[in-house]
Amino acid sequence: MKKVHRILPGLSIWLGLLFLSGCTTTVEVDGTNPIPKVRQVPASVGVYYDENFKDFQHTESIEAEGTWKINLGDQNYTFFQNVLSSMFGQVTVLDSPQPTPEQAANLDAIVVPKIEKYGFLTPGLSGLKYFSASIHYRVTMTDEQGNELADWKNVGYGKSEGGAFSADTALGEATMDAIRDGGALFAIEFPKLTKVADWAQRHTEISDED
Amino acid sequence: MKTSFLVVVLCFSLGGCVTARVEEQRTASTGIKTEQALVILGRASYNDRETEDSFIDCLAEALSGGSQPVSLVSEESFKDALFPWFEPRTAPTSSDELKGLFQQPGVAEQIQESKIRYLAWIDGDTITTDRGGSFSCTVSTIGGGCFGMSYWEEDASYEASIWDLENLTTAGAISADANGTSYLAGLVIPVPILARPGNAACKALATQLRDFLTGG
Repeated sequence: MKKVHRILPGLSIWLGLLFLSGCTTTVEVDGTNPIPKVRQVPASVGVYYDENFKDFQHTESIEAEGTWKINLGDQNYTFFQNVLSSMFGQVTVLDSPQPTPEQAANLDAIVVPKIEKYGFLTPGLSGLKYFSASIHYRVTMTDEQGNELADWKNVGYGKSEGGAFSADTALGEATMDAIRDGGALFAIEFPKLTKVADWAQRHTEISDED
Repeated sequence: MKTSFLVVVLCFSLGGCVTARVEEQRTASTGIKTEQALVILGRASYNDRETEDSFIDCLAEALSGGSQPVSLVSEESFKDALFPWFEPRTAPTSSDELKGLFQQPGVAEQIQESKIRYLAWIDGDTITTDRGGSFSCTVSTIGGGCFGMSYWEEDASYEASIWDLENLTTAGAISADANGTSYLAGLVIPVPILARPGNAACKALATQLRDFLTGG
């Protein structure tokens, strides 16, 4: 019996570690999709969202924390659809980055947003009390002649305080904040890029003349 | 024995006390009508120190209750309605930026529609400044218990910067500081004697903020 008492603590620690390393935490990201209050360019743009952007999922195994699976594609896609619809007068979602001749005839520009990288930190990794997430965005834009107007790269950051029993919620909130941050920066900074601003000015003048 | 036990309990009780200090700086006269609202926003940063959501919730609860409740617009709905202008990295850092912000399409109209008269930016946090002592719990086949004593001292420091959204100026600032020491004593069973400086700072700031908005 004494032997069992001696073995039990070690066995429970070993089983605990085995359990932690074997478990997967699935994080669903959701939040509100606000409509940005920004100046709209009276132009028609085609937007191509690749499959990676629409279904983005990040899976990462961390020693002693198990596997994390973060599904952010749906929320990110909906969020950016809202942002782009507010920024441009008319938005057409394209099936390919190369529009058909019929589509091209009615478009003033093509925008392609991408997620290049996603990363996160847990309090266990960072030593801080927050979960944090970062999303590396890249958005390219070409005009009706195919000339590059923008190749914008930025990182959306988010963080959220979370307890031991709400880790998935906290990481979901941090990721949602990162989407909001990326979307906010895009809505404000992207139109200020020199070539984009010139293009927008041109289309505003055309619209005013009409 | 009984006397010494009472002394220990008294010491612990005193140690659990919190001292709070509030300071106000007014730069403009204020006044809020019953139909006008206040929005409380926490200043976000990307380091480890940030105003806790729980502090904002505590302030909102304290201000919306009592005999003179202040009408509040929630942080979430305000940020959504004015997206992307009040996100952590895009929010105005001083009231001087409000004029430019109000020229953005729909911003002034939204604030007018929500009847928001004042915006209070809350900055600060509660940190542990000191800790010590020794405390341990033991469990064995013949029973168990906790022995020893540990303590930790916390300092809560917060500041509210109040912006007048009608005149697009800074109306003033209120700071609240509170500190207190908490104890955990092991007298077979663990006896926590907790000081809550964050809560004390919240109550003090809420009271002063209410006076600031309604008076002056």
